[in-house]
Amino acid sequence: MTPNRHGSAIVEFPNDLEIVTTREFDAPIALVFDVFTNPEHVRKWFAPFTCEVTECSIDLRVGGNYHIVFVTDDGTECSFRGTYLEVAPPTRTVATWLFEGWPDADAVESVDLHETGGATRLTMRLAFRDKAGREHMTKHDGQQDSFDKLEDLLRSLLDPDG
Amino acid sequence: MARSSTTSDVFNAIAEAHRREILDTLIGGEKAVGTIVTDLSMSQPQVSKHLRVLSEVGLVRCRAEGRRRLYRLEPARLRPFHEWLARYEQAWNDRLDRMDEYLKELQQEGEPQ
Repeated sequence: MTPNRHGSAIVEFPNDLEIVTTREFDAPIALVFDVFTNPEHVRKWFAPFTCEVTECSIDLRVGGNYHIVFVTDDGTECSFRGTYLEVAPPTRTVATWLFEGWPDADAVESVDLHETGGATRLTMRLAFRDKAGREHMTKHDGQQDSFDKLEDLLRSLLDPDG
Repeated sequence: MARSSTTSDVFNAIAEAHRREILDTLIGGEKAVGTIVTDLSMSQPQVSKHLRVLSEVGLVRCRAEGRRRLYRLEPARLRPFHEWLARYEQAWNDRLDRMDEYLKELQQEGEPQ
């Protein structure tokens, strides 16, 4: 039996203004890509079980838009939308990311898939543009500041025994 | 416009890379301004400016020892940021767990591999 991978997503801050989430799935890369980008699949897993997905449109091509909306138990609408900048099945997509309800967040989300020995690793990189209006956050080389230590400290705050 | 809440002040304070470097260098313990200047290769006015912002939101605390001013981290003040991070991490962990379950269902139904 394959091990249960629940709760195994890793969230990291590799550098300035980026959040990177990594998760492995016991499935081939083409299927993971399809489940992550095909609206018929996305509406099955995107929202928590008790929430209703009211909108899920994904036009998977460069310049195409996506819009996903779900409504929580207390009636709050959570809306995610953006435009694809790169589409390279089954390994990569890059899209702008706007979470309504957090209007100042202007971000670019890159998703990379990599298959090794039947397992597919999904890496989601959310890069926020800074307020000075930095042009591109997608090709962020160098500038590895020492945020890792700060992250360790943050984690130790939540779990003092960890 | 009203002054932003303390919570968002903490977010603003750590949104700047140099201020995070200062926080990082203080994780090891209390340091004098001059030591921070040397360690981080920043100018004294620059370090002082950032320390003032960090002090205003309570992320660092200052005490005088003779003529030196020593700064130390107040890590508990990072909690609002950490709580946001924990919520983000939880939301994506749950979402990707659901995707995992859904992938398993599809594969058990014999979807093309």
